[in-house]
Amino acid sequence: MTAFYSARYQSTASSAVLEEKPTDPSPSAAAASSTATNNEEGSKLFVPTADRKYEYFTNVEFTKEGVAIIRFDCPNKVNTISFALSDEARQLWKGEIENNSDVKAVVFSSAKPDMFIAGADIFDIKRIENKNDLVGLIEEGVTFFQHMREKKVPLVCAINGPALGGGLEWAMWCDYRVCSDSPKTKLGLPEVKLGLLPGFGGTQNLHELVGLQNAMDMMLTGKDIRPHKAKKMGLVDLVVSSQSVEKDAIQSAVDIINGKLKPKKKAKSLMNRLLEDTSIGQKIIWNQINKMVQKNTNGNYPAPNAIIRCVQHGIANRSTRFENEREEFAKLAATDESEALIGIFDGMTQMKKNPFDNTVAVPVKTVAVMGAGLMGAGIAQITAEKGMSVLLKDRNDAAIERGGSYMRDNWDKKLKRKRMTKFQHNLNSSNVVGLTDDNPNLVEKHFGNTDMIIEAVFEDLDLKRKIVADIEKITPDHCVFATNTSAIPIGAIAEGSKRPENIIGMHYFSPVPSMPLLEIIPHEGTNEATRATAFNVGTKQGKTCIVVKDVPGFYVNRCLGPFLVEVSALIRDGVSLEKLDRSVLDFGMPVGPVTLADEVGIDVTSHVATFLSKADLGVRMDGGDITLMEKMIDKGWLGKKSGQGFYTYSNKKKGKTISPEVQAYVKTFVKQDLNLDKEEIQNRIISRFVNEAAKCLEDEIIDNPVVGDIGLVFGTGFAPFRGGPFRYLDQIGVANYVDMMNSFADKYGGQFEPCQLLKDYAATDKKFYNN
Amino acid sequence: MISSQKLVRPLLTAQRRLFSLRPIAGGRDVVIVSGVRLPFAQASTIYQDEMAVDLQRLAIKGLIDQTALPKDAIDYVVCGNVIQEVKTSNIAREAAINAGLPYNIPSHTIAQACISANAAIATGAAAIQSGHADVVIAGGVETFSDVPIRLSRPIRQKLITLPKAMKKGGPIGAVRHMLKGLKMKDLSLETPAIANFTTGEVMGVSSDKLSAKFGISRQEQDEFTVRSHTLAHKAHDDGFYKDEIIPYRGSIAENGIKGNSSYESVSKLKAAFVKPNGTHTAANSSFLTDGAAATLIMSEEKAKELGYKPLAYLRDWSFKSCDPWEELLLGPTYCTQDILQRNSMSINDFGVFEIHEAFAGQILSNLAAMDSDIFAKEKGWSKKVGAIDFDKMNIKGGSLSIGHPFGATGSRLVTTAARRLQEEGQQFALIAACADGGLGHACLLERYDN
Repeated sequence: MTAFYSARYQSTASSAVLEEKPTDPSPSAAAASSTATNNEEGSKLFVPTADRKYEYFTNVEFTKEGVAIIRFDCPNKVNTISFALSDEARQLWKGEIENNSDVKAVVFSSAKPDMFIAGADIFDIKRIENKNDLVGLIEEGVTFFQHMREKKVPLVCAINGPALGGGLEWAMWCDYRVCSDSPKTKLGLPEVKLGLLPGFGGTQNLHELVGLQNAMDMMLTGKDIRPHKAKKMGLVDLVVSSQSVEKDAIQSAVDIINGKLKPKKKAKSLMNRLLEDTSIGQKIIWNQINKMVQKNTNGNYPAPNAIIRCVQHGIANRSTRFENEREEFAKLAATDESEALIGIFDGMTQMKKNPFDNTVAVPVKTVAVMGAGLMGAGIAQITAEKGMSVLLKDRNDAAIERGGSYMRDNWDKKLKRKRMTKFQHNLNSSNVVGLTDDNPNLVEKHFGNTDMIIEAVFEDLDLKRKIVADIEKITPDHCVFATNTSAIPIGAIAEGSKRPENIIGMHYFSPVPSMPLLEIIPHEGTNEATRATAFNVGTKQGKTCIVVKDVPGFYVNRCLGPFLVEVSALIRDGVSLEKLDRSVLDFGMPVGPVTLADEVGIDVTSHVATFLSKADLGVRMDGGDITLMEKMIDKGWLGKKSGQGFYTYSNKKKGKTISPEVQAYVKTFVKQDLNLDKEEIQNRIISRFVNEAAKCLEDEIIDNPVVGDIGLVFGTGFAPFRGGPFRYLDQIGVANYVDMMNSFADKYGGQFEPCQLLKDYAATDKKFYNN
Repeated sequence: MISSQKLVRPLLTAQRRLFSLRPIAGGRDVVIVSGVRLPFAQASTIYQDEMAVDLQRLAIKGLIDQTALPKDAIDYVVCGNVIQEVKTSNIAREAAINAGLPYNIPSHTIAQACISANAAIATGAAAIQSGHADVVIAGGVETFSDVPIRLSRPIRQKLITLPKAMKKGGPIGAVRHMLKGLKMKDLSLETPAIANFTTGEVMGVSSDKLSAKFGISRQEQDEFTVRSHTLAHKAHDDGFYKDEIIPYRGSIAENGIKGNSSYESVSKLKAAFVKPNGTHTAANSSFLTDGAAATLIMSEEKAKELGYKPLAYLRDWSFKSCDPWEELLLGPTYCTQDILQRNSMSINDFGVFEIHEAFAGQILSNLAAMDSDIFAKEKGWSKKVGAIDFDKMNIKGGSLSIGHPFGATGSRLVTTAARRLQEEGQQFALIAACADGGLGHACLLERYDN
């Protein structure tokens, strides 16, 4: 056994996997395998040898006590459960375990460091055209698990690293679970995030281990459970260090064989017994859960309800519970919603890959952030969190402190929620160096060492140009200059610069730490190294990066322009503020447009609208009166931040109301009451948005529909279950949509005329996605 | 023998001493590159919620930021700390790694009462001289906002043996164990006193006695106190501390400095330690202070290689101790005498003095002792130390006004002295400080010409 451990140690120390991105920004990886890697590596044909008999497992090791150790080792960087793996597992079991009477216990472990199983391979699901075929495939899997249990030897899991989705389901079929206390170890069933449910017995096995309430919480939110919480819940039986997790799993197996250890379920508290094990209690729980689901999904997501049905069915009918589960699974897999959510997940995975030449990218250790305002501080925060050094530059100590306290407050919140250790907190703040104009020599000294500048000062072209000129004098030649602007053309900022090829736009969204999207905007002269560097840094900061062209509004705000105009048009046509918000919410947006304007700030929103109406969008910005918001700025109604926007916000009361004053003001903009129904309101406002996205694709502002979908879903919260504007168009049919828009155009004017690309797609019946 | 180890350098300017010094102990030249402190603050004010380790971490981080020092160039971190938090006994180590320093930089903590940071600097300097290090961060920290308040010894004993009693007698046995022989007074708490362990005497009482011995009047002490506040206030106003204090929450203000203090107000206070006729009051004694400081010292070659313009050479230092019963806080006099003698210098050779003001009475007693022929004769010195020119001493304020976080003060004195040498164009600076236990420290800086 010693030899084995030292060998494993060596492989850990030298493994390339260690160089994997230190932080994966999306914990939602139900299946972390990207289809790209799958295609590349899956195409290689596996040839078994004596040293390597299996493609997905290392050779089984047997200890003298009769413990068989089966280690997952998929050809990809991460372990994922696929139908191919499942096939091979059956073959392995049959060949080496089933009829081998020397095997007294089985330990499942992983040959990869810090990785148990990241989930099921979604490529499997996408590939299968008739989703009903999934039923049989899943059945084979579940039968195999049942078959495994029939050998009646203890099955023990050694979990170090993520055990998600199918990985956790596998572990739940075992008798005993040992996991490591590593920060990389997380357990969860995130299927719901892809519009699916845990199909390999997860909906049935989980609540038996952790109780109904915990199980529903895990499955309906898809959240990760950390080791100690998992132990407390009963999801795992033992938590040990990552160094000893496999050793302890083997020891546990031996102890179970000897009868020294008896796996037992976590005892429930009296309260939980009353709630979970009585029919009245269960009724209360289901009532609560249904309310919560309705509130959070607005009825737009089918998966949570399917999960609830599966669990309820399983409790009532034990004999058909797995059968029912897989049928529900197949039904979900066939829904538009699941397709859309998988599409987003897939798109997000694609966006992680740098489209530029990574070999010329500048390795970035130090990033200087100019401006410690809300944007600057947010950018500094996410940069420092990822271990880069940050030079935060502003006028004086007071300005730096405003930025400093912004970061500190955010980190304090994470600390409080145990999302961060005190040590990490300290390291983060140690990564930030505050610099002010009071000490130009020090600024120069630090900037002489910086690899990248991200400028987040006031939106003023001359100011930005001046900063470029000043900075170029004191930074090394390789230093990339990124400008965070939402309105100024990047090309204009680069004009007159000494090193225009180093200049690029990086458009962050506010609040920076929580908004997942980043627009990367090269101007014409931006070189490859700068593009690749900006993309790398953005990704490292945990953002999903989309590359867009240097046009007014770039992509996301450009699409929002016509949307905002339509808000004023709908108000003109007699739609009340509440009804407008409600309609858009019902479409699946996270907030209504009126609330959105309040939250972003009326001044900012108005600025975007005014700016775009003067830009090159022509008739597409017509049809409304955007002075609606302009005049609100004069009144000091700046939105939520000032306590008064369209809605009135009170510190004391939660929620928002509309004051008579605002009612009266808005009324002055109402020209007629067309008595529009919800659907027409939705279609009018959404079509402006969708058409602009399509126009962006037509004008090559975005490269492809995936970028377009990810951009609007992550940038504006475009109904995720619809998958973004392009998938939405596919789902209703471009031709239908064009017809609808044409009828709007006749009724309301040219702003509704569909763009040429949409007309072409409609004419040829083309789709944006072909799967 | 001493003079033979000195190298005579060419005469630089007329006002200067005829030669520059070489380190007596031999070895490499040590330079003070920079130094910073967090704003010193009265206890339980701005740092109320911070731990000492956080203050030290911020001071180290501030120093690194201020100097753009590459973290991997640091060889050692050594910090002073007096009233320890048990969770961070080696506070230097915790502060260093929490400030983001690489794990492979060793660090240790020194406790030598109020001269702990001086001890840290001397330790770092010795390591540089002997070739064990090139770059050392030496600092110190103290917080009085969270001193360890303990249960009484009998209760502590009972708690420590409680598990045993529990095992033997169960819960009832445990209760019996806790209550057995317990006295009412055992329920009181122990708070750390600013007193000497051996003599049991509170510092203020010792200093009051010392002042009586050297005939320092209440009025002299009060006037000196006002001077300290006035000068500290002015130094802040003039921006002298702008580069020395790193902002905490955006501010470098030090809340112990009372710019408006006047003799009238200070003289109204009642005696604080020796009642009713003692001379020491809450005003003319340094107050309980939270704060941290850090000084960057290097070998001269390394400083040059890294492109720094050092402030000063650290030429020599002295640690002496004396009778804690009779002259607990008189160490500075002994150490100053030692420095002068070792370096064949006179007190008039110095253009900058930074002398710790634990109590106005204490510093004035020391000055009196230094200028006393009788005292010199008693000690068998060939001559007295001499009088220190007030115009050169503590002209940017002192511990009475700025505050006195025990573990950090030494670093402040050295940094301020080094910066004053540059600002005032003087050649030599003398730093001296007293410490509990009858300890004293002095050190000698020489301006670095860049």
